[in-house]
Amino acid sequence: MNPFEMVAKQMRQRALSTWLTLLSVMLGVALMVAILIVRREGNALFGQTDYGYDVLVGVKGSPLQLTLNTVYHIDKSPGNIRYQVYQDLAHSRVYRPYVKLAVPICVGDSYKGLRIVGTTPTMFGYQDDGTRADENHRFEYRPGRSFEVANGAMFNPNKFEALIGSDVTKLAGLKLGDTFQATHGMPAPTETPDIHKEVWKVVGVLKQTHTSNDRVLFIPLVSFYTIFEHGEGEIDREMIRRGQNPATRAKPANEEEARHYQLRPDGTIDLQLPIEDREVSAVLVRSRGDGGFMGQRLVYDLNLLPDVMAVNPASVMREFFNTFLDSSAKVLLLIAMLVTIVAAASIMTTIYNSVSARRREIAILRALGATRKRILGLICLEAALVGLFGGLLGFLIGHLLGAAGSIYMQQLVGEGMNWMAVGLEEWIYLAAVVLLAVLAGLVPGLKAYRTPVAASLVAT
Amino acid sequence: MSLTLSKLSKRYIGPDGSAVPVIDIDELRVSDGEQVALIGSSGSGKTTLLHLIAGILTPDHGQILFGSGAQQVDLAQLSEPQRDIFRGRHMGYVFQTHHLLSGFTAMENVLLGMSFTGRSADRKWARHLLEEVGLSDRLHYRPEKLSVGQQQRVAVARALANRPMLVLADEPTGALDAKNAQQVLDLIRNLCREINASLLLVSHDLAIARQLPRVLELSEVNRAASVIPANAVAEV
Repeated sequence: MNPFEMVAKQMRQRALSTWLTLLSVMLGVALMVAILIVRREGNALFGQTDYGYDVLVGVKGSPLQLTLNTVYHIDKSPGNIRYQVYQDLAHSRVYRPYVKLAVPICVGDSYKGLRIVGTTPTMFGYQDDGTRADENHRFEYRPGRSFEVANGAMFNPNKFEALIGSDVTKLAGLKLGDTFQATHGMPAPTETPDIHKEVWKVVGVLKQTHTSNDRVLFIPLVSFYTIFEHGEGEIDREMIRRGQNPATRAKPANEEEARHYQLRPDGTIDLQLPIEDREVSAVLVRSRGDGGFMGQRLVYDLNLLPDVMAVNPASVMREFFNTFLDSSAKVLLLIAMLVTIVAAASIMTTIYNSVSARRREIAILRALGATRKRILGLICLEAALVGLFGGLLGFLIGHLLGAAGSIYMQQLVGEGMNWMAVGLEEWIYLAAVVLLAVLAGLVPGLKAYRTPVAASLVAT
Repeated sequence: MSLTLSKLSKRYIGPDGSAVPVIDIDELRVSDGEQVALIGSSGSGKTTLLHLIAGILTPDHGQILFGSGAQQVDLAQLSEPQRDIFRGRHMGYVFQTHHLLSGFTAMENVLLGMSFTGRSADRKWARHLLEEVGLSDRLHYRPEKLSVGQQQRVAVARALANRPMLVLADEPTGALDAKNAQQVLDLIRNLCREINASLLLVSHDLAIARQLPRVLELSEVNRAASVIPANAVAEV
C-alpha cells in the first residue's frame, strides 16, 4: 500500500473535517486567483496602450471621464467642444503635420440603454461619398483592426440610417431593416423617457470587435444634429461662448418651427444648423509618427486652447490603473494572502486534532515498522494533498469567478476578460499554497513524530 | 532465526525519582521455529519484555541477539530507524486488542503490514493468510463489520504478512471467549509452523500457555531466576 493510498484512506475516514479544511483552502485560493485574474486582465483591459488612436480631444475637465466616456462608453459625457475644433483637426493646414486621421463623435442619446453615437463614415473606413478610404487612412479601433460591416452596408452620412454593433441585435432586438427612435440621455428605469421623433433605419451590422463598440448604435453625425434638443442646446451654448444670454434669444414656437433640417426627396438630410452652432463630444485622433513626438506636440498645443482638452488615452488609463485598480488589487491581494494563511492554520489545526485522536493508529504503524520520519512524511503528505486539492478547487472556482467578472465587464464596458488564461503568478501561488500546507503539516507531523509507541499501545 | 536475550535489564524512573526495575534477565533463548509461552502476574513486565524484543523500547543494559554467527544482530545496538525497519521486516506483533486500523478493510490491514518493509506488497500471500484464518469471505470488510474474534484473526494474518522470523503475541486471546481464544491460538501456532517462525506468546491464562511446548514464568520478585522451564510451572 503506497503512502497516497494510506493518506487518502485516512482523509476519507475523516471526510467531514477533510472537506471543511479543503473548503477553507479553496476559498482562500479562489479569492486570490480571482484577484490575480482581475488584476492581470484589468491591466490588459484598462491599462492597454494599443488603441488605434493616440489623442482624445474633448472639453476641458476630467481626462479620465473623457477617456472612459469616449473609449469605453461609460460614465457621462463631460461636455462638448465646438465642431470647428474637429474641422481644424481634420482639415486645417495647421494640424496637418500632426494629424493623420480625426474622427468626431457625438453622444447623448440611447436606445434601450445602449449608447447612440453620431459620427462620420471615416470611423468605418469610408469617405463621405461612400467610397472606401485607402488603407493608410482607415480608422483603427486597435492597431491593425478596423471596423467591418458584417451584414448590410455602410450608412449614408446624410440619411437617417444606422450601423449597429454586433451585440445590439441580441441586446436590443434590432436587426437589419428595423427602425428605432433615440431616447434623450440615458434615463433611469423610474424616469419617463424623452423619445425623439426622428426614426433611423438599421442598414448594417458590424462585425464583432470585442470592444465596447459592439454595444453601440452608430448614426451619421448629420442626423444627430437634426434632433431638436441638440440643435437648440448647441445654439444656446454658442451664445454663452460669445458672452450672450441665451434667454434673450427668440425661441421657436414649436418643434416644427425649430427644425434645423429639411428632407430632400431622395431622403437625404439638408442640415440647416450653422457650423458655428454645431458641437461634438470628442474627436479621436491618430497622430502621425505612431504616437510619438507628433502626438505629444498635438496634446500640448491643443491644451493651450480655451475649453479644449487633449489627452493620450493610454496614459490616462495607465494612470487610472496604477492609482486605483492596482492599489485596490494590492489591498485585496493582501486580504487574500491573509485568508490563505488562515486556511493553512486550519490545515494545521485539523490535522493536529486528528493526530491527537490517532495516537493509537500512529503507534500501530510504528509497531508495524514505520519509522518516525515515515510518520512525519505521511502527515505532511496529508497536509500537502489538502493544500493541493483545495488549491486546485480554488483555482477552478477562482477562474469561474473570473468568468463572472468577465460577463460583468462585458456588460459594463463591452469588453470581457480572458478568464481562462493562466498566468505564471497563479502557478507560483498554487505551489506556494502546497508548500504552506506542508509547513502547516509539520506541526502536527512533529507531534506524530514524537508519539511514544509503547505508551500509546499500552494505553489503548 | 533464534532469539537470545543476555543480561537484559530495564528500569523505569518512578514519580519520586527512584529507579524501578522491571526487567532483569540473565539469559533467555528461543530457538528457531520454537513456540514459547511467557506467563506472569499483572505488572511483572511481560509487555515491557515484548516491547524490548520488538525494539519499541531500548534496554538499559544487555543484548537482544537475533540469529547467530556472522549474521547475528544485536537489536539493542541498532539506531531507532534501524530497529523500526528490522521489526517491520523480521517480526510480527499481535496485540491483546486487535489494533486494526478502522478505515481499512481486512485485506488492507494485512497489506498495511507489508507497507514498511521496502518490499512490494504480496497480495496473493495476504489473501492466503486471510483464507487461512477463515476470512476469505470478509476480505473487504472493515473492522467495525467484523466480530471481535474475526478482528483478532485479521490481526494474526497481519502479524504474519511479512513472513517474520519471530512472532510476538501479547495476550492475543485475552479479549476472546474460550472458543474464539482456542481458534486464534491454533491459527497463530499453525501459521508460525507454516513459515517456520518462532513464537513468543504472552498470556496470563495457564490453559492457553500450557498448550505451547515451553512455558516460562516472568517472576516479579526475582527476575534473574524468573525464566523457568515449563515443567516447573506445571509444578507451581
